[in-house]
Amino acid sequence: MRDLTAVIVNSLLAAGLYATMSYGLAVIYGVMRIINLAHAGILMLGAYATFTLYSRFGLDPFLSLAVVIPVFFGFGVLLYLAMVKRLPRSQAGPSIESLLLLFGVWLVLQNLAYAIWSGDTQSILTGYTMKSVVLFGVRVGVPSVAVFAVSAASLLALQVILQRTYLGRAIRAVTQNRDAAMISGVNADRISAVAFGIGTAFAGAAGTLLATMYAFTPDFGRSFLLKSFCIIVLAGMESVAGVAAGAFLLALLESVVGGYSSLPTSFQDALSFTLLVIALVAFPQGLLGAFGRVASRRRSIS
Amino acid sequence: MRPASRWVRVAAIEAAALVFLLAAPRFLERGTLNDIWNVAFAVILASAWNLLGGFAGQVSIGYSAFIGIGAYTTALLALKGVNPYATLPLAALFAATFSLVVGLPTFRLRGPYFTIATIGVSEAVRVVAAGVAFTGGSSGLRMPAGSFSFTRNYASMVILAVAVVALAAWVKESPFGYALAAIRQDIDAAEALGVNSTKYKLLVHALSAAIVAVAGSLFAINFQYISPGSVFDFRLSLSIVLMPIVGGLGTIAGPVLGALLFGYLQIKLLSSPGLRDSYLFIYGTMLIAVMLFEPKGLLGLFHRLRRGLARSLSRPVPDAG
Amino acid sequence: MISNCGSIILRVLLAAALAATVLPGALTAAEGIIKVGAVLPVTGKESKIGGAYKQATEFAVKEVNDAGGVTVGGKAMKIELTLLDDTSDAAKSAQLVEQLITQQKVDVVIGGYGSHLVQAQSVVPERYGVPYISGGAGARGIYGRSKWVFGTLSPVDVLSSTQMDFLASLVAAGKLKKGLKIALLLENTEHGKDYAQGVHDYLKAHPGDFSIAVEESFELNTPDFKPLLTRVAAAKADLFMADAHLEDFISMHRTFTQMGLYFQMVTYGARGADAAARKALGAATDYIFASGWWSDLLPYPQVKAFNAKWKAATGSDPQWYHATAYETVRVLVTALGKAASLKPEALRSALAAVDLKDSILPGAELKFSSSGQAIQPFVVTQNKPNNKVDIVWPVSSKTGDPVAPVPKS
Repeated sequence: MRDLTAVIVNSLLAAGLYATMSYGLAVIYGVMRIINLAHAGILMLGAYATFTLYSRFGLDPFLSLAVVIPVFFGFGVLLYLAMVKRLPRSQAGPSIESLLLLFGVWLVLQNLAYAIWSGDTQSILTGYTMKSVVLFGVRVGVPSVAVFAVSAASLLALQVILQRTYLGRAIRAVTQNRDAAMISGVNADRISAVAFGIGTAFAGAAGTLLATMYAFTPDFGRSFLLKSFCIIVLAGMESVAGVAAGAFLLALLESVVGGYSSLPTSFQDALSFTLLVIALVAFPQGLLGAFGRVASRRRSIS
Repeated sequence: MRPASRWVRVAAIEAAALVFLLAAPRFLERGTLNDIWNVAFAVILASAWNLLGGFAGQVSIGYSAFIGIGAYTTALLALKGVNPYATLPLAALFAATFSLVVGLPTFRLRGPYFTIATIGVSEAVRVVAAGVAFTGGSSGLRMPAGSFSFTRNYASMVILAVAVVALAAWVKESPFGYALAAIRQDIDAAEALGVNSTKYKLLVHALSAAIVAVAGSLFAINFQYISPGSVFDFRLSLSIVLMPIVGGLGTIAGPVLGALLFGYLQIKLLSSPGLRDSYLFIYGTMLIAVMLFEPKGLLGLFHRLRRGLARSLSRPVPDAG
Repeated sequence: MISNCGSIILRVLLAAALAATVLPGALTAAEGIIKVGAVLPVTGKESKIGGAYKQATEFAVKEVNDAGGVTVGGKAMKIELTLLDDTSDAAKSAQLVEQLITQQKVDVVIGGYGSHLVQAQSVVPERYGVPYISGGAGARGIYGRSKWVFGTLSPVDVLSSTQMDFLASLVAAGKLKKGLKIALLLENTEHGKDYAQGVHDYLKAHPGDFSIAVEESFELNTPDFKPLLTRVAAAKADLFMADAHLEDFISMHRTFTQMGLYFQMVTYGARGADAAARKALGAATDYIFASGWWSDLLPYPQVKAFNAKWKAATGSDPQWYHATAYETVRVLVTALGKAASLKPEALRSALAAVDLKDSILPGAELKFSSSGQAIQPFVVTQNKPNNKVDIVWPVSSKTGDPVAPVPKS
């Protein structure tokens, strides 16, 4: 029984991290159907920004979120206005051009990072980095718990914005049907800019959180990017709550397979990618989408 | 101009190019020949990808899997004593088969979903290749000594490159190519007209995969050492997609132009000490510039300039008064 | 018509591009210059140490040139170093080496850093008959295949068997009990495999001394080591031996500490004493022992001199990778000084026969074995509290006593 608790607790904590890395990607994809390859670069930049704030001004990483989030929001809006907006929109679908454009941005960000911070491995060591607490009888690291807390808060904040504010409703409208939303008076362009800003802000925040746990170089972010793809696919790519569920499922799978089976840990990654493909094929609307459809179908029949 | 004579023209140009390239070792330096080899390799990958991505409109970012299948098939069989060149058909067969296995479930998906699925598959293949013992695991494989002949490697790569471009030109004007174009433009309309889109997608995917695998085999023969990191890399998959798009998606000359630009430019940038540090920056900025200002790629840019020039030339001279 | 014009244009472009590169290259081997080429991962995955190798290589070459260069066959010559970045990509790495040989016409190539990159590069020297010396790869599989390939890093399996010797000495001294169980964790690379090989070879040669309770491999850049370490904890081993790169070491040891795991001795292969590790882990690195190709604590006068020179030039203490890169250039220059001429075979045989007697590497003597790889002894260091480090093995180079078992915190 204790084993099960340990698995669940560890999975929750890992899920918190995975989810935070993925919100940004999900928001941008949802509103603009753009696969943001620069996400990895923003993660990396967020980590380095936090590192600079910590080493220059002694600002605690979690406190620096207050700086990182608005700055990256602005950066995201700028990026959208300067580049993404100018891309020709081809029918309703996302273009491969946007994918490649953002890949180009990622490369430029990397070069920038090498130029400013060099290729040396950097890390952040605070007073609580190595400490642990006991949660439900399971010993867990303090940074993981803090990251989970921030992740949960982000999820809540996103849900509130999406469900309770005009901005959120507009975002959801544009996500579902851009043209219909525009007809209803939504300034789709402005919404897209805001969404890109939000997506970038979350990516930057994720970078901050990752910096509390890992060492990083300008090459940082690629493995997380691929994992985030798995998660937003599991989530249905348009649902924020789905991201949390997808992240948890993936983390749970990794925990169980990694901790309690004899499968070499090298194959864990193969597992997540296979899961990605299965999920795409069997549940194109994502897991929550699949349940949602079933539920609504049942409802409409009765 | 009737398609038949267009094909004849392309064939003539191709033949001339082939003669030139095969004669090149007589008067060009080894370093330049290496560069040609690189460009030829890039041309093959870009043109083959273009069959699926440009003609049929299905964007796959998982092509490094086929390069890897080709490379590993050749290396493993060569280590068992088989003549490397004899392994090429087998490599093509394995890749085509694998493409079917992957295509059957994923071609049900559309647009970006298909793209993401291909990323997933290619990464899974990489991880498995690195984890399994018989592929040499993460240490990779080294080709048996004495199997290296640059003249042979050069000739085979160049011949394959010319052949693939010719094949692409032929496919484009064939009924097969028209079906693919229909699928790219509007898959539902195509289906309504009786085009079995899944069959065509699978076919072109298999053809494309087979070609890429053979290129992978030639890669293994030339580099003599392969590892999962070098052949199954996600960034390699991205660069394969980059070239035809930057050059001009769905055209014949586009992938070649793109391959020329990126394949050649990359090595030149890296070997010039002054620009070396900004290599990522230049690469990335160029990509951004092309995507923003000329999504039809270099070929599109060229045509725009040509039209602009023609228009300005045919404009009547304004009166002096 | 459209594709026709495009085809024509591209043929013209192709011809023009080729014509541009056919321009006569620089005159080969101008009077008094030795052309040395180097291909290192200055950016990309291996950029941290690749960049350091670049720095040390340039430092070493500058030192030689400032002192008047090197005398080859009676003629004084300066070294012209062309150093290229392969962005940690193996195919590019091999091509750039080939480029240096065929276009820049270098006389000798200094190899890169990282076993997979050096592996890819090492097939090239044989094709052209150009001497190649690498200071950045310890994998045995690279050497012994071509007489043109040399390496200054000792094999990784000797690294781990040295650690086993050290552990055995602790048993002999009564600090550890006999028959302890080992948890062995390896990164899924050539490096990791060689490390495991060294441990296994030792156990085969000395049955009964130790046994392996659990052996697992992990992928580079694993994001979450919890599952792996949970398996390790369940195996209830006494000694912890892992082989990991810096990032994974940091990640793994953070999780290790947070989980509150305890082992009587802990090692991460060559990691542990580096400044970056201390910066990332703080006091959690105390008592970790590591086995390295070099330590700045080695009690040789030439090491002290090197430390001083390096500190004066760069403002920081040298790390092992600076030393090995530096020494690679130094042994090359020593061989050049003994070579009869700049002809490839003369350089090669000079390298094969070279014997650097005041080497800064452990053992104070650097020469190449019959496979082309140098087989040097390793030092074992142990971190002590308050950022202190001691060399604890071999006994002749000791600067402090080993602490075993590690105190419980």
